[in-house]
Amino acid sequence: MSLAAIARKDFRETVQSRGMIALVVLFSLLVAAFAYAVRPTGESEQFATELLLSAFIGRFLVTTLIPLVGVVVGYNAVSGERESGSLKLLLSLPHSRADVVLGKVAGRGAALALAVFAGFLPPALVLIAAPVVFNAGAFLGYTVFAAALGVVFVAISVGCSAASSTQRRALIGGVGIYVLFVLLWGALTGQLLNAAGPVVDALPVSAGQLDVFLQVSNPTTAVEALSNAFLGERLFSGEAVNQQLSAAAMLVFWTLAPPLAGLLKFDADDL
Amino acid sequence: MTAIELRGVTKEFAEVTAVRDLDLTVEDGEVYGFLGPNGAGKSTTIDMLLDLVRPTAGTVRVLGADVATEGVEIRRRTGVLPDGFSVYDRLSGRRHVEFAVESKDAADDPDALLDRVGLADAADRSAGEYSKGMRQRLALAMALVGDPDLLILDEPSSGLDPAGAKEMREIVRAEAERGATVFFSSHILEQVDAVCDRVGILRDGELVAEDSVEGLREAVGGEETLEVAAAGADDDAVAAVRALPGVSGVTRDGDELAVNCASDAKTDVIATLEDAGVAVADFHTREASLEDLFLAYTEGDAASSSERATDADATDGDATDADTIDGEPPTDANATDAETTDAEPPADDESAAEEVDR
Repeated sequence: MSLAAIARKDFRETVQSRGMIALVVLFSLLVAAFAYAVRPTGESEQFATELLLSAFIGRFLVTTLIPLVGVVVGYNAVSGERESGSLKLLLSLPHSRADVVLGKVAGRGAALALAVFAGFLPPALVLIAAPVVFNAGAFLGYTVFAAALGVVFVAISVGCSAASSTQRRALIGGVGIYVLFVLLWGALTGQLLNAAGPVVDALPVSAGQLDVFLQVSNPTTAVEALSNAFLGERLFSGEAVNQQLSAAAMLVFWTLAPPLAGLLKFDADDL
Repeated sequence: MTAIELRGVTKEFAEVTAVRDLDLTVEDGEVYGFLGPNGAGKSTTIDMLLDLVRPTAGTVRVLGADVATEGVEIRRRTGVLPDGFSVYDRLSGRRHVEFAVESKDAADDPDALLDRVGLADAADRSAGEYSKGMRQRLALAMALVGDPDLLILDEPSSGLDPAGAKEMREIVRAEAERGATVFFSSHILEQVDAVCDRVGILRDGELVAEDSVEGLREAVGGEETLEVAAAGADDDAVAAVRALPGVSGVTRDGDELAVNCASDAKTDVIATLEDAGVAVADFHTREASLEDLFLAYTEGDAASSSERATDADATDGDATDADTIDGEPPTDANATDAETTDAEPPADDESAAEEVDR
């Protein structure tokens, strides 16, 4: 299986990079630092797991740092090999260009997911062993959402990389992805809604509904919505079930559409 | 069956036409040397065989299948040593070969392949630490995975020392004996001579000659190059030799004269030099080398396309040219040592002589 062979190769390469170890250590230290900040004081032994996750790890680590890491892991996936010439070695073997792009999403996505688990696990083990009441299930479940967000950003930036003929363009694209989704999304969609006011009025949905949809169209917001629902034990139930379904659907969309769009351009290029 | 078949293939890039209406056929089991100076379009042609670059016009078939639609199937049965590739710095040599084995669903032992290309000792080192020659060997090991029906080698000897180039030739020969078709490009001719069944010469994207090495040699005619150690040969002596019938060109490099002439004109040349008061210390003849041939087809014709008129009516002028460009390296600067420099002006003369004959 050609796609799997490329995925394994890329996984191995990514895991063996020095940045990978640095990343795991960074995740561990940040999670540990936040855990220390919310440690139980006084008589109580109740550890505020949910507070740690949604207010600290979620806001400062997951929705800002993980997208950045995803972009860094993905942006040079195809364009880097194209520029260095190792793509020639790769395409000398019986791989299609689709195998290359999708294999890289799988391999690098898996490597980033591993980094998230490896980084989040050591502090969790300490908390499990410590004499506090720690909600290990919530913590581990949350880790899955964090890893999923990383994979989505790897997919978006690999797609951008496949469409870029040079490393420089891929880098610009990567920075653009981060700025768009992490920094500007809310402002941009707000502008868009205002500008399109009359059109929105004509649609059979309210501006509020549309705004919610646009917000969860952003993978970081989508993961935030889903993980908070998970922590509140309302995942895919309760009032916001439609919003959660849209969020999940958008995550699937962002995982598949950018690589396929990038592939379209990559497949037509002379290499 | 036909291993490689190009029909009317043209490739235009934004600013250049790299390949022009190229027809090329390589039969099963052949060893085909694809020659041409740098920039002639060899790599573009090979990239089209691999579907890395798509032709503007024409069809490319490899192992009987269309590269545009069945590229993956073709590459499963093909071993490729690309030009201008790079390795995965963080992965070991063995991992590279393992990856090729896995990609081709082959059953080869990576260590045996690494041993065959002389990398057994370096198998566990990261390929990023490899020298250029070692990377070349590594890519060859990857190309040999799965006993391919066709080997496509783009400048296989680049980066290899003479011993490495010899090993490369031996592997090519062994693969050909196993029954594989071998298609390789080069701008260095000495390696081609020994291994190729047939040679094609590409210039400016067009095939200017295609034949066996012997056939090409015959095409250039029975000319020989007479090399004379003639201390003190002055311009008059050179002019006298140049005026002899059967002499098509003379070049001087220090005390060494190289005279292109018909074989029966040799004694006249020596006699004329001695009459002119030159002490002939030593002389020997050699056949037109492949290098001469190659340059005759590439550089010579290149000159004639723009300066055909002046070239054709001025054998003398041409020979003077040869004097002045003496010592200037030919376009393919990598071609071997001093002999190349010697060989270059005669090659020009030969082509000029051909022009005159026509």
